[in-house]
Amino acid sequence: MAVYKRGYQRYQGELTGRWTRFLALPRFVWPRLIEQRLILIVLIVSLFWPLACVAFIYVANHSELWSGLDNDFAQFLQIDGRFFRYFMDTQAVMAVILAALAGPGLIAPDLANNGLPLYFSRPLSRLDYVLARMFTLVAMLALVTLLPALLLFAMQGGLAGFDWLWKNLRLPVGVLAGFAMHILLVSMVALACSAWVKWRTIAGALVVGFFFILAGASELLNNVLDVTWGVLFNPARALYTVWSAMLGVEAGEGPGAWACGAALLVMAALVALVLEKKLRPVEVVS
Amino acid sequence: MTRDFRARQIWTIARLELRRVFFSKRSFWVYGLALFPVAIFVAAAIGMTYERRSYEAVNRVSPALINSVNEGESVEAVLERLGTPVRDREFRRRHRGEDDESEELLVIRNLRYWDGSRFAELRFRNGILEAKFIRQLISLERQRQAYNGVFHYYYLKLAIFFGCLGIFMNLFRGEMLDKTLHFWLLAPARREVLLGGKYLAGLLASSVIFGAGAALMFAAMVWPVDPLEARAFLAGPAAAQWARYAGAAMLACLGYGSAFLAAGLLVRNPIVPAVVLLMWESINGFLPAVLQKISVLHYVQSVCPMPAPMDDGAPALVRLFLAPAPGTAWPLAVLGLCALTAAVLFVAARAVKRLEINYGGD
Repeated sequence: MAVYKRGYQRYQGELTGRWTRFLALPRFVWPRLIEQRLILIVLIVSLFWPLACVAFIYVANHSELWSGLDNDFAQFLQIDGRFFRYFMDTQAVMAVILAALAGPGLIAPDLANNGLPLYFSRPLSRLDYVLARMFTLVAMLALVTLLPALLLFAMQGGLAGFDWLWKNLRLPVGVLAGFAMHILLVSMVALACSAWVKWRTIAGALVVGFFFILAGASELLNNVLDVTWGVLFNPARALYTVWSAMLGVEAGEGPGAWACGAALLVMAALVALVLEKKLRPVEVVS
Repeated sequence: MTRDFRARQIWTIARLELRRVFFSKRSFWVYGLALFPVAIFVAAAIGMTYERRSYEAVNRVSPALINSVNEGESVEAVLERLGTPVRDREFRRRHRGEDDESEELLVIRNLRYWDGSRFAELRFRNGILEAKFIRQLISLERQRQAYNGVFHYYYLKLAIFFGCLGIFMNLFRGEMLDKTLHFWLLAPARREVLLGGKYLAGLLASSVIFGAGAALMFAAMVWPVDPLEARAFLAGPAAAQWARYAGAAMLACLGYGSAFLAAGLLVRNPIVPAVVLLMWESINGFLPAVLQKISVLHYVQSVCPMPAPMDDGAPALVRLFLAPAPGTAWPLAVLGLCALTAAVLFVAARAVKRLEINYGGD
């Protein structure tokens, strides 16, 4: 007779809907993230630049405020692709910092405490788990990127008339699609770092390092080898080139938007590979 | 307890830690950061040597002939006078006229000629020479400029910065995460001694890794240069410059190391000090001269033989703002950095005395 016996039986009851199961993870994580003082501070700080842009749009659309000034100033107050690219550049940096703070806590603790079997023993696939974690981060990053962008377009549309929006349709499409690409890449990098090093604190530094070190390494390649394709290894610069093409603005020297887009796709694929390799429901301990 | 005894304790702790810092799997990426530029310089040297050989195999024209080519000449005339080019590229593109309606077909042809040390790039537009660029394929001056730029912008600001972040944060915070710090705290040694030992280990490891990386990069930089020119350089200022770059790398490890060791004791999340310090060092050039001196980078750059290069295309206003504070004489810079390090280590020593283990928090 066994001194210890435990039997298991598969749950036969009714399952909740797929979406309910999917949203269970973000629903519990969002309040925990917002409770962190640092994340809250970064969220607040990241609204400063959109507010400055709102003021800029207001001034640009009220010509009576600067009617006495010269033509150069009027040129400076153009709401065009260049203006939105400046806006995107700044918000993208804030999104990286936010991802470095919020992202690592999403997967690392589950791995460090061997918590994954608890998730995967429920009707939740690996893909569901990753997507749910990513959705948590994407929604948070959207607060500092997509949401302020929508606000700016609503304001510009309201002040300049919807004719302006219709004539410049590539701007909202470019900004929203560009930000969507950015937050997807940043979220994937943050999750991959979190899964790779398992420690929340180290993973955060790795996210920041990923963007800064690759930028430095790409500049190094360009300078020493006297080439311009080093840009392809710099995710921030590659995104900048793609955004510029989407907004119809000159991006400067280097590979074109398609090459940069392809480089970003390769980066995303590599990061997805890391996630696929590191997130296993079982772990063999030798 | 004599001072000698404490020094021996510090050395014992440092020796134990050194093995961990040099050979742990978690430290290998630091080698990658330090040796990446070496690999790129070596790749560039191999590329340039290959290019020179392939040019020699095709055609070599006299420097006078290259100098004689003038804008406005036809492609046929140039080909007849200079012979086969080492590279011949042609492409066509449509060009919209100024009235925005007419379109013209442009035939662009680029010919490259080689005179043994320089190459000339001749750009023809519809068969007429439009522009001529002459450049040394390998020049010591250009290599030195490239090295200086890489050292200031990649090595100091990124590689050593993040390398020290990894090494020094790991000394206490890493043990906290591994849940092994209590073994050190149970050892019969004062907390300050423990701090000293760990700092010494981190400093020795980072200095060896990044100092050697800077030296190897210097060697890789000189490698493809013409042997005569290289020999003259090596017999002249090379040793002093090499020593100053390696010294600057070690000094950066000294300064950043103390800052990150203290940060590892004072804060739980390394991103905060890393981002704050990175921002501070990045905006350093925009700050008034007095504030520029409260940074590791200012002292380290004062030790370098050449100032950080600035982009010639940068607007005048940016150049004005980016004007660095007058460099400190290098002995003073070393002293200044040592004083800064001592102050930071004093703060860290106070923090380590109050250190309590809370493994659950991470």
